[in-house]
Amino acid sequence: MIKRKASGTILRHILLCGVFFIYIPLQGQNSLSEDTIRIKEVIISRKQISSDLPGFRKISIDTTLLKNYTNISLAELLALSSQVFIKSYGSGGSSTSSLRGTGASHTQVSWNGININNPMLGQTDFSLITSGLIDDVRISLGGASMETGNGGIGGIISLENNPDWSNRTSVMVNPDVGSFSRYVLLAGVKTGNDNFQSVTKAHVNYTENDFPYLNTEISSEPVLEKRENSQLSRKDFLQEFYLRKQDNDFSARIWYQSTDRNLPGSMLIQSGTQGEEQVDESIRSIFSFKSERGKTDYFVTGAWMHDRLDYSNPLASIESKNVSNSFTLKGGIETRILNSTKLRIFINNELNVIQSNNYENNVSRNTASITVIADKKSRNRFGSTIMIRETLDNTVLLIPDFSAGAEFRLFADEDHFLRSGFSRTSRVPSMNDRYWFPGGNEQLKNEYAFLYDLGYKMNQRLSPAISISSELGFFRNLIRDMIQWHPGEYTYWVADNLSRVNSTGFESSFSAAYSLNELSINLNAGYSFTRSVSAEAGTEEKIMNQLIYIPENQANGSLSTRYKNIYSVWTTIFTGRRYIVVDNSRHLPGYTVSNFIAGIKIPYKKHSFDVNFRIENVFNLSYQAIAHYPQPGRSYHISLLYKFINESN
Amino acid sequence: MKRLFFLILPVLIACSCTKPEDPGTLDPEESFLAGNGVFIINEGNYTWGNGSISYFSYDSSIIFNDIFQKMNARPLGDVPNSMTINGDYAYIVVNNSGKIEVVKRNSLKSQATITGLKSPRNVVVIDNSKAYITSLYSDSLTIINLKNNTISGYVNIRRTSESIVLTGKKAFISNWNGGNEVVVVNTDLDKMIDSVEVGKEPESMAIDKKYILWVLCNGGWMRENYAELIGINTQTHEITKKLVFPSKLDSPSCLSINGDGDTLFFLEKGVKRMDIDAAGVPEVSFITEKGHMFYKLGINPVNGDIFVTDAVDYQQNGFVIRYSNKGDSVAGYKAGIIPGSMCFKVQSPSNTE
Repeated sequence: MIKRKASGTILRHILLCGVFFIYIPLQGQNSLSEDTIRIKEVIISRKQISSDLPGFRKISIDTTLLKNYTNISLAELLALSSQVFIKSYGSGGSSTSSLRGTGASHTQVSWNGININNPMLGQTDFSLITSGLIDDVRISLGGASMETGNGGIGGIISLENNPDWSNRTSVMVNPDVGSFSRYVLLAGVKTGNDNFQSVTKAHVNYTENDFPYLNTEISSEPVLEKRENSQLSRKDFLQEFYLRKQDNDFSARIWYQSTDRNLPGSMLIQSGTQGEEQVDESIRSIFSFKSERGKTDYFVTGAWMHDRLDYSNPLASIESKNVSNSFTLKGGIETRILNSTKLRIFINNELNVIQSNNYENNVSRNTASITVIADKKSRNRFGSTIMIRETLDNTVLLIPDFSAGAEFRLFADEDHFLRSGFSRTSRVPSMNDRYWFPGGNEQLKNEYAFLYDLGYKMNQRLSPAISISSELGFFRNLIRDMIQWHPGEYTYWVADNLSRVNSTGFESSFSAAYSLNELSINLNAGYSFTRSVSAEAGTEEKIMNQLIYIPENQANGSLSTRYKNIYSVWTTIFTGRRYIVVDNSRHLPGYTVSNFIAGIKIPYKKHSFDVNFRIENVFNLSYQAIAHYPQPGRSYHISLLYKFINESN
Repeated sequence: MKRLFFLILPVLIACSCTKPEDPGTLDPEESFLAGNGVFIINEGNYTWGNGSISYFSYDSSIIFNDIFQKMNARPLGDVPNSMTINGDYAYIVVNNSGKIEVVKRNSLKSQATITGLKSPRNVVVIDNSKAYITSLYSDSLTIINLKNNTISGYVNIRRTSESIVLTGKKAFISNWNGGNEVVVVNTDLDKMIDSVEVGKEPESMAIDKKYILWVLCNGGWMRENYAELIGINTQTHEITKKLVFPSKLDSPSCLSINGDGDTLFFLEKGVKRMDIDAAGVPEVSFITEKGHMFYKLGINPVNGDIFVTDAVDYQQNGFVIRYSNKGDSVAGYKAGIIPGSMCFKVQSPSNTE
């Protein structure tokens, strides 16, 4: 009888999960890997308030998802696993992000705490980042971004590489072959002991990207065409060293990245291509030292980021050569004051030096800031955060940014939380905004925004086998002095602080996990609604119209299952219509794209083989993320992950 | 379990927030296209593919937007730049799509698409079987066979080209993009026969009733030189007049001429009007901008109406403003994104269709 009752409860919960899956185009996270520690993603502690930054929303891309999608770009990973809208020019093409209805330059990107946004553009091309090189991806939304860096009005995407202090040597080789002549190889060696770790990873990718697509725009009847001039060649090399002795940690990370790609034209260009090509090369290095002295931790980090971006368009005789070097020094302390209050103070200094044939001269900029963060967690019911930052932009002292948030447990000993946050945050103009010749404006002020955040979240274990969690949130962003390029008095465009944008939205997520014996099922779903409008006066068309390329509706979901060594993951993303003209008279239709992975893991002594088969765009949907730039249809991929692990005594 | 309500809430909201897609509708407007009017070529944003064609109908005093898309159920292309009418057909030059759409002038229904052009800018019809196309990036003119709408050859002029005008057996082509010359091509031989050095960046040209070629040189996009208005004898190719603008900051554009060929118009902080026999460039605007930012100019060759466009912020739909030949404002109309050059489809009362 007891057994029957238990199985009935389980069935009810499975049905509940099924109902969710039917109603929402789902996607999310999965948990497949043998070394996945799923609980890490949803740590529930009743000893104290749950968030590490009370009052604000931070989300993580499931590390297991990272492990299963090692050979795709971070742009593709973010698109299928989060509500970050990725504005992509197609497979291999430039991809930028939009968080909470803001622009690409309002998303900051950091690697191990150091800003890696291109200082000239003020944004990151996510198609250049290979997800398999990164151990952890976290998204801090709105005011939560202040914890890591400047300028994240929409938020900050943090890429992390962390040491695993296990005493073993492992070798990994992961070839991946797919449709449209896609060949990828990721390989790595990790070795070390309790005091020293070395991680080496290398990645090469060549893709022809000659996918067929339906061109509906050059004649009244669709024409089947093949993508041309879309080849991509990418190389990465990452070396990490970690050393720890007693309470001192030292780390060194160096990441070389090179991408050479042809840029295909839009479907409207009758000849298909103008022969455009872009080469991106970067060297990123970070050296960090941490020391623990009693209740206080000290850290100092030095970083050098080198970026080269060469663009050529033979038809238009354009040869754009751009080199930037950024030197960052960051240091601070973290200490406990009183029993429940943590105080963090850090100083960040970033020097950008730019050489570009698009600027009149070589230019440099120094941005220094001091940040103070205090968070207090009172017993297990209440948590609060206060952050204050003062920034010195060259020699100009900016109005301080600040953030305040609070979180409250609704019911004693149950994980239901209410949170609320308010922030003022700002973004220093990009170097192109200031120095592009002609039109750059050295007098530009920083953009600033007031951000409001309100949310509810819960975690609950329904039975020993089933746990669920959910989150609801509302936000409102008022962005002011936004930089806009506009026609100037002469024949070229100039940058000015002109725009005002208000974005308001709702975010929700739900996840359920079922695990019994050798069967595990995970369901994740998310939905967001974003209304982002211009708040400018006098331009009637803009007012109350949704900003272009900001989808109002987005949803994602995933269902992953594992039984013994066999696993599968189904993911679905839905992106609603995106307007492509400011009067909202034209739009791109919404699209729902699904992917599927099935695989098997075969362990053999110290070796393991993981073979998986992947179908992307299962239903062969013809769609565009950016108008007139086709996305690939259905594609097939096969991947083999070989691992050798030698445990040391 | 009561708290599962909180879980279901996002799903309910998700389901309730989805909007139905708008149905696409087509409104037939051919009847208005058959009458007198002016086509406005809306350039749209570079690489965004949102260029379009508008038509201001004199018969109804209404502007019809996005006509090409409506008539052909597909977008026009990326950055349409100009349009020329020849007989029953019109030729729409789509710059960044590298093509010319050949359409029926009274319906805009596509008849053919001429592809393989390098950044085409303007077209001039030489005769019923031949047209020349200028190019922003190519050092040749492209010859189009109008009988079968194909590329039939090239005229090597050793420099890029922009504006093109025709008189007799000569075509005059301006080398605008960083250049300072006007090239002369014999249209029988399809060969360059001469070149004339003018001011920096000859942007637009017009021929007056005395067969003087007027060349408006804007002085360079970075204002390196003074802008100049130069008159060239189309028989001898000699410069007969050179009018220099008073300030280096002057940036004139869009030289046009009225139907009688005796009055020049151009944009320079408003619309400037100048008699062809004037001794200098006018100081005072004939039409002031009054809150607008004029982008392109067109003169009705029959009644002298003056049309100017205002691209506003180059993102939202712009305006076309119509003035009488006396310079009085008649009306303004909302066009497409970045309304640019204009093509008049007008018949004089004595020559009605």
